[in-house]
Amino acid sequence: MNPNYELPLDEADYSFGFLDEFAKREVRRTILKAIAIPGYQTPYASREMPMGRGFGTGGLQLTLSLIGQDDTLKVIDQGSDDSVNAVNLRHFVELTCPGVDTTERTSEATLIQSRHRIPEVELSESQVLILQVPYPDPLVVIEPSEAKRKVMHGEGDYSRLLTKLYEDIVQFDEITISHRYPTRINGHYVIDPSPIPRYDIPRLHRSKALVLLGAGREKKIYAVPPYTVAAPLAFDDVPFRTEDFSDEHGARRTCGRCGADDSFLDELIADDGSKVWQCSDSDYCNQRLAEPSHEVSA
Amino acid sequence: MPDHIRSAGTDWQPVAQQGAFRQIMNCFAYPGRLGQLATEAKHGLPLLLATLVDRSNRLADPHRLLDDDEHRRLGANSGTPEMAQFVVQPGVLPPDFQPILGSLENPEQGATLIVVAERLGTGASLHLSGPGIDGTATVAVQGVDPVWWQKREQWNAGFPLGVDMIVVAERQVLALPRTTRIDLKGAN
Ligand SMILES: [Zn+2]
Repeated sequence: MNPNYELPLDEADYSFGFLDEFAKREVRRTILKAIAIPGYQTPYASREMPMGRGFGTGGLQLTLSLIGQDDTLKVIDQGSDDSVNAVNLRHFVELTCPGVDTTERTSEATLIQSRHRIPEVELSESQVLILQVPYPDPLVVIEPSEAKRKVMHGEGDYSRLLTKLYEDIVQFDEITISHRYPTRINGHYVIDPSPIPRYDIPRLHRSKALVLLGAGREKKIYAVPPYTVAAPLAFDDVPFRTEDFSDEHGARRTCGRCGADDSFLDELIADDGSKVWQCSDSDYCNQRLAEPSHEVSA
Repeated sequence: MPDHIRSAGTDWQPVAQQGAFRQIMNCFAYPGRLGQLATEAKHGLPLLLATLVDRSNRLADPHRLLDDDEHRRLGANSGTPEMAQFVVQPGVLPPDFQPILGSLENPEQGATLIVVAERLGTGASLHLSGPGIDGTATVAVQGVDPVWWQKREQWNAGFPLGVDMIVVAERQVLALPRTTRIDLKGAN
């Protein structure tokens, strides 16, 4: 986010949710088509926001078009509620949507706007996950023409993308994509699921919560509806795998802070130069530390 | 349809439309579930339209379910059912038009059909499956001619092309996006 953005002095001139009602209505119409055509990059007229594109404006426009005073919003960036981007986005919504509650607890949120992660705790039907997307089209690596890409998407023709993936496998002997793993939705459209790790891809599959993805710069909205097949592209001889958190002895690494052995871990360098591992989902880590049983077992 | 359906003043307020949109979005996300449109009007249709339609859309209402004042307030461009993005029709009459289905490159241009039924939750049972449905779902609809379901199946035969349906009755709403399969054996 541009740290220099300024809200006008007289905020009262702005409607609830910052966007005007025509802009919201357009985003809302686009969301319905995106849900009806799972995985299709539905175009819309992205509005200028008081921060640079690429700072979550696509996600923010979704959030602002959905949010009402009954909502509780959580904003995370790479799993953390406290990063500068997450704090700025949350602050913007608090300023422009008076009466809306915000939270850091995944379980309390009705709307979760996120960059780079899906929360560890399984989402429910009463939640909506909004993912910020920098690059929406997985075909851009093999086809520069958007007109041609749109035909390929419409036909569900991903043969060239599969060939490219397979060439990488032959060259590097494994699937090297760490983030933005191409994933086929409901057997037709392949999406860029945003820069979430491979670890998070299975969470899209038959999710109880609606997942909306917004790319502000590219002016696209797409969706993974609930209870919908989300299948990472894979080959019989090279199956899809999530990140391996085994140590040199083959044991699952644990979080150095809360001891979790079932979470996505970030590798950090401690003061003494040694490597430590910690939950990337800060709320998950904090909730584990707060459990009464934790001190007993630790 | 003896009388025109009339809006309430609150239907035009942003807060009502935000609440209505969340109900409608939930219906699209979970086809078969009924949403409630919170309106002071007798019918949810005006709030539904005010939430989704404005001057940037083409709306067809060939049976004039809403009167001229309501249409003026919506501000949409009027069009025929064959060329409109949004088409309002009474469910009791079988469809007599060919809606826009969109294109391979732009399937989102397929029309949204708003079918006004008599009741939701009672009537003929529809058995549904597809995205947003955990297995199968059943919903009862009263006052929609069965020809609608046959036509819908034809219009939606070539995914991603197709039409998305919103059924509204009184203040209740049901969405049938193009991906929802209706088992027609159950519809009569
Ligand atoms: Zn932890």
